[in-house]
Amino acid sequence: MHKYLLKRFLLMLPTLFGVALVTFLLIRVIPGDVVELRYSGDRGAVSQELLDRERARIGLDQPVWKQFVTWMGGVLRFDFGTSMWTGAPIWEEIKLRFALSFQLAIMATAVAVLLAIPLGVLAALKQDTWVDYSVRVFSIAGLSMPSFWLGIVLILLLLVVFKWLPPMVYTPFWTSPTQNLAQLIWPALAVGYRYSAIATRMTRSAMLEVLREDYIRTARAKGLMQKLILSRHALKNAMLPVLTVVALEFAFLIGGLVVTEQVFNLNGIGLLFVQAVAQRDYTLLQALIMLVAGAFIVVNFMMDIAYAWLDPRIRYR
Amino acid sequence: MRRPSLLSIALALTVLTAIAWPAAAQDKPRSGGELIFVVPSQPPSYDGHQEETFGLIHPLAPHYSTLLKVDPFDKTGTKPVGDLAESWTISKDGVTYTFKIRKGVKFHDGSDLTSKDIKATYDRIVNPPPDVKSLRKAAYAAVQSIDTPDSHTVVFKLKWPESSFLLNLASPWNFVYKADILAKDQKWYEKNVMGTGPFTFVEHVKGSHWVGKKNPHYWDKGKPYLDGYRAIFISSSSAQVAAVRGERAHIQFRGFTPADRESLVSALGPKITVQESAWDCALMVAMHHEKKPFDDKRVRRALSLALDRHAASKTISKIAIVRDVAGIQVPGTPWATPPDELEKLAGYGRDINKSRAEARRLLKEAGVPDGFAFTFKNRGIPQPYEPLGIWLIDQWRQIGLNVKQEVVEASAYHPMLKRGDFETAMDFQCGFIVEPDLDLGRFLSNSDANYGRHKDTVIDDLYVRQARATDPEERKKLLRQLEKRLLDDEVHVMYTLQWHRIIPHSSKVKGWTITPSHYLNNQLDTVWLAE
Amino acid sequence: MALNPPLDQAVEIEVPAAGGGWTQAVREFCRARPLGAIGAGIIVVMLVVAVAAPLLAPYDPVVNDFASMLAAPSAAHWLGTDAFGRDVLSRLIYGSRTALLVGFGASVLGATLGAVLGVASAYFGGRVDLYLQRVMDVFLSFPLIILALALVAILGNSIPNLILAIMIPMIPRSALVIRSSALAIREMPYVDAARAAGFGHGRIILRHMLPNVMASYLIMLTAFLGQAILLESSLSFLGLGVQEPIAAWGLMLRGAAVEFAEAAPWMAVFPGLAISLSVFAFNLFGDSLRDALDPRLKTQ
Repeated sequence: MHKYLLKRFLLMLPTLFGVALVTFLLIRVIPGDVVELRYSGDRGAVSQELLDRERARIGLDQPVWKQFVTWMGGVLRFDFGTSMWTGAPIWEEIKLRFALSFQLAIMATAVAVLLAIPLGVLAALKQDTWVDYSVRVFSIAGLSMPSFWLGIVLILLLLVVFKWLPPMVYTPFWTSPTQNLAQLIWPALAVGYRYSAIATRMTRSAMLEVLREDYIRTARAKGLMQKLILSRHALKNAMLPVLTVVALEFAFLIGGLVVTEQVFNLNGIGLLFVQAVAQRDYTLLQALIMLVAGAFIVVNFMMDIAYAWLDPRIRYR
Repeated sequence: MRRPSLLSIALALTVLTAIAWPAAAQDKPRSGGELIFVVPSQPPSYDGHQEETFGLIHPLAPHYSTLLKVDPFDKTGTKPVGDLAESWTISKDGVTYTFKIRKGVKFHDGSDLTSKDIKATYDRIVNPPPDVKSLRKAAYAAVQSIDTPDSHTVVFKLKWPESSFLLNLASPWNFVYKADILAKDQKWYEKNVMGTGPFTFVEHVKGSHWVGKKNPHYWDKGKPYLDGYRAIFISSSSAQVAAVRGERAHIQFRGFTPADRESLVSALGPKITVQESAWDCALMVAMHHEKKPFDDKRVRRALSLALDRHAASKTISKIAIVRDVAGIQVPGTPWATPPDELEKLAGYGRDINKSRAEARRLLKEAGVPDGFAFTFKNRGIPQPYEPLGIWLIDQWRQIGLNVKQEVVEASAYHPMLKRGDFETAMDFQCGFIVEPDLDLGRFLSNSDANYGRHKDTVIDDLYVRQARATDPEERKKLLRQLEKRLLDDEVHVMYTLQWHRIIPHSSKVKGWTITPSHYLNNQLDTVWLAE
Repeated sequence: MALNPPLDQAVEIEVPAAGGGWTQAVREFCRARPLGAIGAGIIVVMLVVAVAAPLLAPYDPVVNDFASMLAAPSAAHWLGTDAFGRDVLSRLIYGSRTALLVGFGASVLGATLGAVLGVASAYFGGRVDLYLQRVMDVFLSFPLIILALALVAILGNSIPNLILAIMIPMIPRSALVIRSSALAIREMPYVDAARAAGFGHGRIILRHMLPNVMASYLIMLTAFLGQAILLESSLSFLGLGVQEPIAAWGLMLRGAAVEFAEAAPWMAVFPGLAISLSVFAFNLFGDSLRDALDPRLKTQ
């Protein structure tokens, strides 16, 4: 087990390094640069000399490989540098936004799980009946709506029908739980519903598979209450693939809510990402992509460990 | 002092429709309350001298004073009045400006403001130390010296007379900083706020909001009226409208679209007041003079003749933030060409069929075949770039041209223009004060922003002469000549429609007047909340 | 695991369908999977509409008509007009071409390239497998939309570039799934036999392994189709996709449609429905296909 763990851990490192390298090169190929964007504004009347001086100050005049080495040196010490746009330390820029995105990811995942498990189980038990069909139509419909459209429709509904709008400014949960939830519950519902679809499907197929296994048939034959069977045997075994899907979605939600955060004006990682792209803030972008990809890689690693722990065969593969 | 004639204001007023002005004159200002406004952009640093976004002006201007400012009640945005300057005189030869500085003005830290602070501020703007990026330094190239004969007098000496100088001293960017702080650390103001303005700094939460509260020691007794203000940063335009509509904000000072205006008015009725003005921003079409067939002025002229500007002024203005048919200056402001004179320029005539027939004839003459295809590059921003792009392509289609649009992502747009990587492209500019020097410098042959790459010494010469003309009538004449040369004789560039600024705000907001620039009038000292 | 069905059984479903007549297989699918059949029906209608667009569209989708801008649905314009007086129905009809072109282009290319890499990775194993997997991991960790955004920003936005940008993030996802299917087949006796007979790598991969991962491939492909259409509309909505005045559903939702959402809701509602309905159809069909091809989920 320890050997497998170590091997799996070591495999994470080249992936992280690859992400760092690809990120670094990719964003430097995108046309436009931070200095020009910041200082020429809407008039474009700024001297070349000033632009050159500023580029030199933030190190953009260096060869790319040298910039990469400098940056990697910092990353190894967990120092991501300062934002090229604001000059503030990266962690200061990310801190507050991360808190919001993390909370939203938890809430949306909770919504998705609360929808997916009961619906998936229900669909499996009533396979190929109208109940199964309705559940599938409901969950697939969520997956099919563009998130920007769903968000806009939801906001408009709140405004037109209830003449009410969620708060526009983030309040940390411990400062005011009601304010906090009043703002985040709507995007959490919209996103959670959307992402429940895949988990619902996984639950349904895992349940179907489990329901066919012999010991469940035996249990059913013995006349145990169905509810009991579900909770004791079937659901426990069905959990693993569902858990995988949910965990990976959670990792994705931390940084992937680009459109939703815009529509609901949430000061989160996704919105910061859009801003960083628009401003060509290389250092901030690098840190953000590393954060998002890092979350994904770490969650992936943890799921592998969980599988290995539950299923000893994997360790020797 | 000054030029904005009653006539031009009256003109501006009659042009505007469906507007309820805030009744600032009749109502007695009420003290108290927190103004909440939406800011669509954000301040990168806190130093006005070194930044170039209104996202800095809107939250920060209330903390500062400037030497002069643009009259907060002047709708043309061209009338300088004193802020820290109590009065001023200009010598006969137009090169010596003497300012009397207000007494009893205190910084937020309690210290007194003197002429030393004004000098330190302008020294930093005009002759910045190596690590300071003074972005508008070029506008002060005429300054020879800044002196302080006594603690409350500042004298600016110029190398040559410059008609735009006074307005440049009213620039909303030129926050007056404290000399002692600058002496110790020129970068202190990038991360700190400390001025003499009507509001003191409370907090800034990045990406979220900015809070200021009333400065009890403000020099103008009785002001400000507000207890404080809160600026909320919202980038999505639909979320900005939602904020005003859901009454979570009173106002957004940049501008909304015509559609937003309709939805706010129909949802909130009398709770919403709409102010509108021509906007000191222009969308132009740059045509690359080194690429065929755009090197031929007949072709450029045909492209401009194809545009039915007068019809678009009625239709496109319903869906995009543009409205007035305009030349090189904001309609309704002192330097603008009157509409009937403007109609004589190519593409500004009332008879569109005649213009288009002429356009087809010119194209034929220049050897451009029917169905000729070219690319139009546009900036990837919904308002007003994208609707104007669709309109332009449809207009050109009607003189037999087959134009393909290529939208370039907003942040990659400037480098593309600079590289000259286009045949025709949308060019744009926004002014922070309505002043020809600021708007027209880009058309000089050697300007970095002359993206069409025309070389025209006549334009260069006219520009310098109008900039130094001290007699307003003389300057007007020169500007007309420049305009005719630029838009008619040579058609180096073509203007589409003037931007149109629409501010639908909570009717509670009083004492704020719209101007043609979203950089102006954000000190909030005169603003108050009704009820 | 869950993505690794025993493929020999899956193939059995396919083969009689090919031999025993199409009509019968289709009828069987419709009876057993009514949801999938509905999805397939919608897809067929979409394809017909896209092909016959010039015949079906009542107006030119590009020409501006300011006399009838923002007109509500009426006999003349069934679904109303947009901010430029263009017929919404005509733009929807032409927009289906963009959606299907980008959708099919990106997902077929993405799934196929992914399949080739996945099979190769599984077949060769060892170092090749290890390196390929690491590269795939890197691309997998980038969120889909972020990768597409960067690619469009770099390449510029034409339809081929859009297909490329949407396709690239799909490759590692497809490769991952196909590899795990292929790993199972690799150990099958007939692959060993082929190798012993001295067949070349290319031939073994093409003739023996690819056909046997067909079920997984089809499942991936249908899943990608819906995603590609959704991604295309998102990118167009963000201004990174198809260019005006070309008709595309996501583009129809950009700008004016949102601003006029209340005063002229037809501009936002119909393109939104078109996107949702087509993605829904592909997802529904894909979902049923997966049930059909995964024998463990068959009704007893």
